[in-house]
Amino acid sequence: METSTPTAAVTSHATSVVVWDVPSAIVAGERFRITVGIKCSDECHLPNTDFGIYDDEGAQVATGTLSDERWPGTTGLYVAEVELDAPAGEGLHIWSVKGPSTALGAGPLTGLGTDSGSDTGIPHAEGSTRFGVRVVSPPECLVRVEAVDQITQTPISGARVVMHPYKAVSDERGVAEVRVAKGAYTLFVSQTGYLTFRLPVEVDADMTARAELSPEPVPERN
Amino acid sequence: MAKKRDGENERKPQAEKAVSRRDFVKTGAAAGVGAAVLSTSGTALAQVSPVEAIQWHYEADIVVIGGGCTGLPAAIRARDLGASVIVVDQNFDLGGKMLHSGGWVSLGGGDPLQKRDIAGEGDREGFVTAPRLQSVAELSEDPDFLFRDHTDWSVMDAAAQAPYRYNERDLHRAYADNCYATREFLMANYVRFGRITGTHGNGGMSRARRATTFLMEGSTTDIKKGTVSRRDAGVARVSSSHFAPRVMADGAKVASAGARTNGAALSRGLEFSAREKGVRFLLNRHMDEIIREQQFSGRVVGIRASYSPRFDPQTGAQLESLWQNGNVDDRTETIFIRARKAIVIGAGGHGANPQFRSMFYPAWREPAFVSSGWALLGPRGQDASGIIAGMRIGANLAGMQQNLGYDSTFHFPGVLATRDPYTDMLPGHPTFSMRGSTGIALGSDSFQHLIVVNQVGKRFFNELLVTRRQGGAWFPAGPEKGQPKRGLEHVQLDWRNASVENIRATYAEPNSIHAALAMNEGSKAPDFLSGPIWAIFDRAAVERDKWNIDPPFTSPTNGFFFSADTIAELAAKILAGHEFQRVPLTYLADTVARWNTYADKGSDPEFGRGSDAPMYRIEKPPFYAATLYPVWHDSYGGLRINGRAQVIDMQGEPIPGLYAGGEASGGGQQHGLGRALVHGYIAGTNAAAEPTT
Repeated sequence: METSTPTAAVTSHATSVVVWDVPSAIVAGERFRITVGIKCSDECHLPNTDFGIYDDEGAQVATGTLSDERWPGTTGLYVAEVELDAPAGEGLHIWSVKGPSTALGAGPLTGLGTDSGSDTGIPHAEGSTRFGVRVVSPPECLVRVEAVDQITQTPISGARVVMHPYKAVSDERGVAEVRVAKGAYTLFVSQTGYLTFRLPVEVDADMTARAELSPEPVPERN
Repeated sequence: MAKKRDGENERKPQAEKAVSRRDFVKTGAAAGVGAAVLSTSGTALAQVSPVEAIQWHYEADIVVIGGGCTGLPAAIRARDLGASVIVVDQNFDLGGKMLHSGGWVSLGGGDPLQKRDIAGEGDREGFVTAPRLQSVAELSEDPDFLFRDHTDWSVMDAAAQAPYRYNERDLHRAYADNCYATREFLMANYVRFGRITGTHGNGGMSRARRATTFLMEGSTTDIKKGTVSRRDAGVARVSSSHFAPRVMADGAKVASAGARTNGAALSRGLEFSAREKGVRFLLNRHMDEIIREQQFSGRVVGIRASYSPRFDPQTGAQLESLWQNGNVDDRTETIFIRARKAIVIGAGGHGANPQFRSMFYPAWREPAFVSSGWALLGPRGQDASGIIAGMRIGANLAGMQQNLGYDSTFHFPGVLATRDPYTDMLPGHPTFSMRGSTGIALGSDSFQHLIVVNQVGKRFFNELLVTRRQGGAWFPAGPEKGQPKRGLEHVQLDWRNASVENIRATYAEPNSIHAALAMNEGSKAPDFLSGPIWAIFDRAAVERDKWNIDPPFTSPTNGFFFSADTIAELAAKILAGHEFQRVPLTYLADTVARWNTYADKGSDPEFGRGSDAPMYRIEKPPFYAATLYPVWHDSYGGLRINGRAQVIDMQGEPIPGLYAGGEASGGGQQHGLGRALVHGYIAGTNAAAEPTT
């Protein structure tokens, strides 16, 4: 028969880390920005909480501090924008974010939330997540994409142009300019209400592509 | 209230479960949950009533079971021929599934509408001024031609199914011979048709036969004048009405500016006529038994029916029919109704009965998934009760494989966040509170912005293909629908239509629904249910593709839509808040993390995404989960009937006095209203001619 272990008087709150807004293609050596969010499982208020960002080797490349504002639409996610230097080597790098970081000298965090009511003085366990940093060589070619409605031949603004990993959005003239490295791509152009346009392209110089998008049929209900 | 199955109750702390159950009761989700349970049991399983001991509460020449698109025309036709008629319907209102349909009625064989369009004429009231939409050649045919079309062995669709081969020949001969009279009959009973365009599902390969029904938008709703108020017709993306549970569509192209189309125009027109002609209605009245002189011999003499009221889950108010004249409001628990001449079964199909439909496909024993119009029809709709009652007195069945020959029998309508994804009901109809949300309707292209996972949180298919389906061998068809020739070029009964070469060249069925319904790690003996299916996406997807995820398109309380700050929280909320989520979504966080690495690479080694559309990380909070439910739309396979719509027994003989049609009957693969309306017309005609007992 098992004996029960005495429960510790203080247990730490779990935390989760979320990263978004990572650019899909980053030129080697350039700076880029990401957004980091940290959430306490008990929805503690987490202002001025520090976290660290680490490269594929585990070396810390940056630190950040969460803002005082809760991220809109969430119940307890506190965020920070962080500016980072892209690594030199081309390819996909897997970096990570860890926090809240007690090693940075902030000490055990205290929750100030009033809704949980149980967290005063309770430390937060470190959470972490990984994110991909795709480093590309400087793009040599300009691809100009004109997005138009196949039926009306009118420009489609706000169309998303993707030549993985490069992305752009069309302007009010329906034009998007994507700078890409030479190579083979699938050009996608998509917009709500249209079927995604798809065209394999081989890019070895500046070029223009016309994308005629056909409206997505509305399913008939019998 | 349904209990979770598979021993799932042991998996959650008792207190947590109790909270979840209370929430469901509070939010009205319980009404939906009950559907599955009630429809799997209960019906016609009591002992056989001894005829001589019965005290009849009511009697009429004809008793019609079900006030939908078989029952209403049967009732009107029998009344026209001088019979007294009682219609019972389990729901609180009339129309059945016809009320929420598109109103498309495919007939043909040289029917009056084809002739009207050939002549380039409008309607008597002057509403139809739009030019005809099909050529004279596309509209020209006779009943023999229609009969050949409906029994053509050679046609194969793009899912390699033969939708006409197995049709009952006698039934379809009668169908072809009665299309003219049925179209004329409908038009004489306040049904207004627009121009013919195309043909309905499995309505034949060779000619255009389909028109929808309309009313003209006016200041008031007046069936005699052919008008519907704007409020009753509904406002797109804002409100439905009691009159029309789905917003009526713009009918300018098929009739004229101001025309509003869908099944409400058909259903309310027939209902108005039936009430005007003196048909009596016992609503909230579920038929539980058809009584025959002896169980397997003699005439049918009446029915036993129980009181089946429906209540608003929020207010507790009893739901009532839109119109009342002709209603008999009897709240006795059990009543017996004598039929002096005949009984007509128009009780609908089996799409909402998990036990019945699992005869065709064991995966569909999953009670989470419902039939189309589930909120509208309530927990007893489409429960196979008409078929089961017929079987109990010796009826044979027909067309039991034909559920598999139509591509929307069961499918994903591509609507997230509702249990009733086939219909886009908005607030305004009394049953909206049963569903709580309209749903987020997405075209298959929009699935590039999300991933779809099973009940343990694993992806199972290329999301862009999940809602695609293939079939569609009806006019004008063509190679993308499985056939070598298009439109008028189609050659009836040509062996080349079914050649191996043609099938190889045209087969295009993605089969994704079968992957969705497959067993997974959360499936438990003995039923190995697949469990719910979830679309997972983030705030960025909502912004990119401009989805409206606010009420009434989603509901914060009905358990079909969740948001959370992290994926782990999302998984926990689904488990706590969705009635049919029986197991944790153990793999969801890993699945999303892996998906994000695929998006970084621009390719998906598991299911081939990346070459067909861009891939996006799921990363920006809040994160969302919305159900992606399949629906069993209409059902095929049911009571065997002959060309007179008489129910046939195991010896091949008619059961005296018993008629059936529509989805309660089998042997006809034609989708939609046309089949049922013709059956109803034939049944009403012949039932009225039965001897009086």
